[in-house]
Amino acid sequence: MRRKRLKSSLFADTVSYSYLTVLAVFAAFPLLWILLSSVKGKGELTGNPTSLLPRTITLDNFRIVMGQLRFGNNMINSVIVAGSTTLIGITVAALGAYGIVRFFPRFGKVLTRILITTYMFPPILLAVPYSILVGKFGLVNSRIGLIITYLSFSVPYAVWLLVGFFKTVPLEIEEAAHVDGANKLQVFIRVVMPIVTPGVIAVAIYTFINAWNEFLYSLILMNSTNKMTVAVVLKSLEGQEIMDWGVMMAASAMVVIPSVIFFMFIQKRIAGGLAEGSIK
Amino acid sequence: MRYKGEYNMKNRNRYISKASAVCFILPAILVVGLLLLYPVASSVFYSFTSKNLIKATYKFVGLKNYIKVLSDPLFLSSFVNSLKWTVLSLIGQVLVGFTAALALNHIKKGRGIYRTILIIPWAFPSIVIALSWKWILNGVYGFIPHLLVKLGIVNELPQLLTSKGLVFGTLVFINIWFGAPLIMVNVLSALQTVPKDQYEAAHIDGASRLQSFYHITVPHISVVVGLLVVLRTIWVFNNFDTIFLITGGGPANLTQTVPIYAYNVGWGQKQLGVSSAVTVLLMIFLLLICAVYFRILNKMEKESPQ
Repeated sequence: MRRKRLKSSLFADTVSYSYLTVLAVFAAFPLLWILLSSVKGKGELTGNPTSLLPRTITLDNFRIVMGQLRFGNNMINSVIVAGSTTLIGITVAALGAYGIVRFFPRFGKVLTRILITTYMFPPILLAVPYSILVGKFGLVNSRIGLIITYLSFSVPYAVWLLVGFFKTVPLEIEEAAHVDGANKLQVFIRVVMPIVTPGVIAVAIYTFINAWNEFLYSLILMNSTNKMTVAVVLKSLEGQEIMDWGVMMAASAMVVIPSVIFFMFIQKRIAGGLAEGSIK
Repeated sequence: MRYKGEYNMKNRNRYISKASAVCFILPAILVVGLLLLYPVASSVFYSFTSKNLIKATYKFVGLKNYIKVLSDPLFLSSFVNSLKWTVLSLIGQVLVGFTAALALNHIKKGRGIYRTILIIPWAFPSIVIALSWKWILNGVYGFIPHLLVKLGIVNELPQLLTSKGLVFGTLVFINIWFGAPLIMVNVLSALQTVPKDQYEAAHIDGASRLQSFYHITVPHISVVVGLLVVLRTIWVFNNFDTIFLITGGGPANLTQTVPIYAYNVGWGQKQLGVSSAVTVLLMIFLLLICAVYFRILNKMEKESPQ
């Protein structure tokens, strides 16, 4: 009996590890290929498509991206837009999530339902009214207009995730602070926030990544190259003469690496959030 | 804190406390109202008008836009493509994500490192998904086509993104690559909530692994998986970026889904009114799907042991 169990577990181990290894190769390959292609020379990229490691390493592609393409400009645009979205979005969402948990549990349930429903809205559904409204307010090609539209998907998702974190704060601690004469906002900032800071930071980083990665609204609202975010400028550069694949992979590397690194940091906290938030 | 006039104080405090409590949720309500509900309502409004992207004036046209859309064969083929895209992607994502979660849950050493590597696709911006796969699958210099030829699987370089027979499958593959990690991670965290002693008890009672999987694991995680499937269905159905950036809906509209159709009508042909009608139809369809899903989920939730 015991032996059989051992044998079957050895078999299951082997299957599990081999399966996961195959998946890991698939999961990591595009990132690896971007990095390898970005430092290969022109001749090598087209001359030997299946060679993995570069024979010589060159940074020419990155020089073109930063120099001729002025990609740094667009990186700054993206940082400003994603950063502001995160700052405003998280402030709004943290206040809202706390308010839902502590003061309006019943109305909060309705609000959470509405928030989840908004998660179903196709981005393309909002794209039409946004392009009309942004035009009306003269905010085409403006970062402010883009930031406002980004709040539409950042806030609901952040509220949803944060509600779960705020629920873990014990009421007694807050009550003690209230007795000492602190008002609601003081309690929120000095007592509640420190407890949930790790969670809030994780959600903030996730918000930043999503804003950094966003494409559709940016495509519709930004049409001058120097105002574009990285995602849209990459699209607009595709097919231009100056762009060979090496250059494109260098630019891609600069866009994807921040996302991947940030995501690695927060994955443990965010990951289960979707399932947990929905059940608790 | 008990002194004279306590009653009044209390009342006043309660009044203030209600008002200050509202301040917490007011910004979030404003965002939802102004950035989500109002625009959707205005979309519905514009769907009955001749709104144009460039012209300032428009007039009411009744149901004309809807009739135009619903009688357009291209819309219907886009809708069928959307269904195909969603169903195939979802089956693949759930299958890969679920089995990966089971494997991760099974192994003891190296779980962290495998998990970290496996979630990499999740962090990819859509533009980089598109560019990297276009490069890897490139019909002239691409790694995979050359590898397939080298391995002797095919004789000539396969045109994975431009050949009519291959392009749809390739897109679905890319979407599975991108979406499986989210399913995996959520199923894994659901698996870890299953109490271990139940497995031991089942083992003592002589249950086989398959039996305990079916009777203990499945009921515990079915609600989470169900909810994930709902959210993923919506998300995949709504997805615009991936296909738009990889194929733009081509070749010959073969991979054109409803969101891309809506974009082409609105920004290609500048007919925002018609485009609104498309997106409103999309929304209605999703609401219907959700209503059905949630009915099933509620039923499952009642039957699950939690």
